[in-house]
Amino acid sequence: MITPAAIQTSLRGDNALPLRPAEQVMHLERLGAMHQSRLSFMRSLVRRIMRERWQIEPVRLDLDADGYGTVIYEVQAPQGLYSFVLFSNYLAPEVRNDRVIATQWDLTMALVEGRVDDIYLEKLRQNVPKQEAGRVDARVFVLSRANRSARNFDYVVDQLAKGEQPDVERIARVGYLYRTTAVYGSGKLGMADWEKVRTQYTDFARPFAAEMFVCLMLRNFSLLQAEHIARHRSPESFQPMKPEIKRYFGIGNSTGLGMAPYLVNHPLLINRWVEMRELALARIRVLGDISPALREQLHRLIDRCEQHTRETVTEDQWQTGNNQQVLKDLAALRSKASEGFDDWDSLILWSEEHCSLQGQEMLVSILLELYPTLVDDLEDYHCAEEFLDLDPLMPLQTLKEVIETRYAWALAIDFSVEGTRETCWYRSEEKMEPRLGSVADAEAKKKQMALGVGYAVRKCYDQLCDYVAEHPDHTTARFMVARPKMRGIVRRIQSMNRCVYGDIQANLLDRNVLPMHLLRCKLAFFGVSKFDPRSRLWVRNTMFQGAPLLDDIGSRFGDDWFMPLAPQQ
Amino acid sequence: MHISMNELKAALRRCFEASGYFVGNYEDAANMILWLEKHGLNGLGELERALPYIRNDSDKPLSSVVYEDSTSAIIDSHDRSALNCIAAAVDLAHAKALEVGIATVTVHNCHNRMFILKALTDCGRRGISVAAYWQNGEQNITEHTAAIRAGERYPSYSEAKTCLNASADDKQALTIICSSRVDLSTRLKHRKTRLLTETQVEENKEQSVESGIEIDPALWDEINRIGTEILVENSERSRADAGGR
Repeated sequence: MITPAAIQTSLRGDNALPLRPAEQVMHLERLGAMHQSRLSFMRSLVRRIMRERWQIEPVRLDLDADGYGTVIYEVQAPQGLYSFVLFSNYLAPEVRNDRVIATQWDLTMALVEGRVDDIYLEKLRQNVPKQEAGRVDARVFVLSRANRSARNFDYVVDQLAKGEQPDVERIARVGYLYRTTAVYGSGKLGMADWEKVRTQYTDFARPFAAEMFVCLMLRNFSLLQAEHIARHRSPESFQPMKPEIKRYFGIGNSTGLGMAPYLVNHPLLINRWVEMRELALARIRVLGDISPALREQLHRLIDRCEQHTRETVTEDQWQTGNNQQVLKDLAALRSKASEGFDDWDSLILWSEEHCSLQGQEMLVSILLELYPTLVDDLEDYHCAEEFLDLDPLMPLQTLKEVIETRYAWALAIDFSVEGTRETCWYRSEEKMEPRLGSVADAEAKKKQMALGVGYAVRKCYDQLCDYVAEHPDHTTARFMVARPKMRGIVRRIQSMNRCVYGDIQANLLDRNVLPMHLLRCKLAFFGVSKFDPRSRLWVRNTMFQGAPLLDDIGSRFGDDWFMPLAPQQ
Repeated sequence: MHISMNELKAALRRCFEASGYFVGNYEDAANMILWLEKHGLNGLGELERALPYIRNDSDKPLSSVVYEDSTSAIIDSHDRSALNCIAAAVDLAHAKALEVGIATVTVHNCHNRMFILKALTDCGRRGISVAAYWQNGEQNITEHTAAIRAGERYPSYSEAKTCLNASADDKQALTIICSSRVDLSTRLKHRKTRLLTETQVEENKEQSVESGIEIDPALWDEINRIGTEILVENSERSRADAGGR
């Protein structure tokens, strides 16, 4: 069991482990090349559920023959009892929309503290289906909604009703029955704040654990509902789906720009997630024993990642190119590993010279998979206290040096060059949805969000240099009284300087910025797979594909659903 | 109506951003109001009094240091709201206390001084003890004091209505004492003092965490109405900027 003190000494000081440097890791393109891993939040959640043997049972299953109605599952976890409440309603094709601006959905859901009685259920029924247009109270801590995958749902129901199994090749193309289009937590719409979830609902006291749990429950309900409809349609010929095919169904997800500002606005938290992943890799580099069995397992995982990548279908040319490059990287990695190697360091350094960023990061995920005992403990340290505190006593000369070393990447950008400040991020009046425009749009420019950290650092540095020339002996506190407009960025610079990894190193105002990297970074931490970009601004992906089913809880659990493969049919 | 703390913070940030507060300041302002409300000290009431004036500060001079030595400073805030200037004053006291052990900063011409409690609490959390004292009104003034010990998470606060009149010299003044060596605690001497102990402040917070916050719908609407000014009107072009097909 790793302790906070051991983490501290591994991250910093004389006995620190050889972590990859910030200028390598925090480069936006590399963050956007990350894949799911043992430390991804979905994996952590499922490990917890399986190891603690949560009891999850439907206590109300009021569905008509078409699968419409109300469902409540009770969830008995070690620290508390929770209810997952779901409303299934008919959705006319003309109002079906995956965008955040939609107002009706096939399914709407809530995760609620405690047991839900009829009175409370009615209260939820009045509000949960409305999502953003409704209000809930602090017993609710996640709200979500989902739409059917038109292609898959009817097909799967038809197959089961006929007594046949779904064609796995088809499921490999679209591996879900429903897509969730938003998952809300952290106090939105009157829900419990994160502070309450973290301190009172401790079964979910890890980042996004409750949100991930709702997606897992949605995935399980989607399978139950498809079988339910098929059974009612054709009770005589109906056959249930085979469990191995069921496990291959995940839940679809559409993620748009909303996730991007989150990464910029929660730098301490993102730094923490990166620190844990990099610490896991550094532990493996130094402590990971390489036995013959482990070498075999490495080859098996390379094969699996290769097959998983082959089974990833996307119409997006850019992503297709990335996937093909990953296949080449994995083939080269297999050859290199077959030649023999003495330590992980040499293999990692080889990958950095010979593989694409996605290939390099695939190797990182594979290595994490090989060493559960060096990796899994770190999942308990993904939370961070998000105080961006000013260090008022810091001499200004020191502040200047901090900027020059930690933000060299920002100072290296010439913001007078055309295009370096062309992009602006703003919020639309339509559900406050974040959008990405050009400064040529005067209103968007005027109302842009403060996501240009690199440019803010540059402006701060210039003002600081002028001020230091006049007042070389002043402290940061004195600078803040004189230049209060710099308060936000100075506080950020100082706080991120206390972190190992710090800020994402990218100019988000650049004409050519690819928000997709930000989305993919966060989704990789969540643990999704099958990235399928639909434009440069939003991406479809699959959650929980390969994860155990509710029926599997209490059975043997190998925690082996990394890069899931289509079952043999 | 019932809202969560996170909703209040997000709405206040939009409100202050729309009102011309700059990056760093609009977060501070939102956190100061939320902190008071969350800890049972009527942050929303204070906000309601401040709200009609929050745009005026953009026309006023920035705070200036009118006197300074190693242990003290005097800052003129030029009639600004504490929401956009008091954190820097507390930081200056903090820095001086770290250097010399104990320091005093006096702020003149500063409104809504109750909002200092969040900045005080941040110091306590970071191992510095702080106390503050101010008076309100012209006749039958009320006195206010708050203090936090080093390393603590919750301050104490007391207020009392007196029969004193304000002196012409100390209108809208606030005194901050900060120490890295001495644990400061304050309590008004007036016999009708209303005191909120550290424990009561903590209990109020726990209640807010449990249940969220109750807010007058009219005030909530007003905060959100002001905040809409940072939103871009919807258009086909704007929809395309979201990446929709």
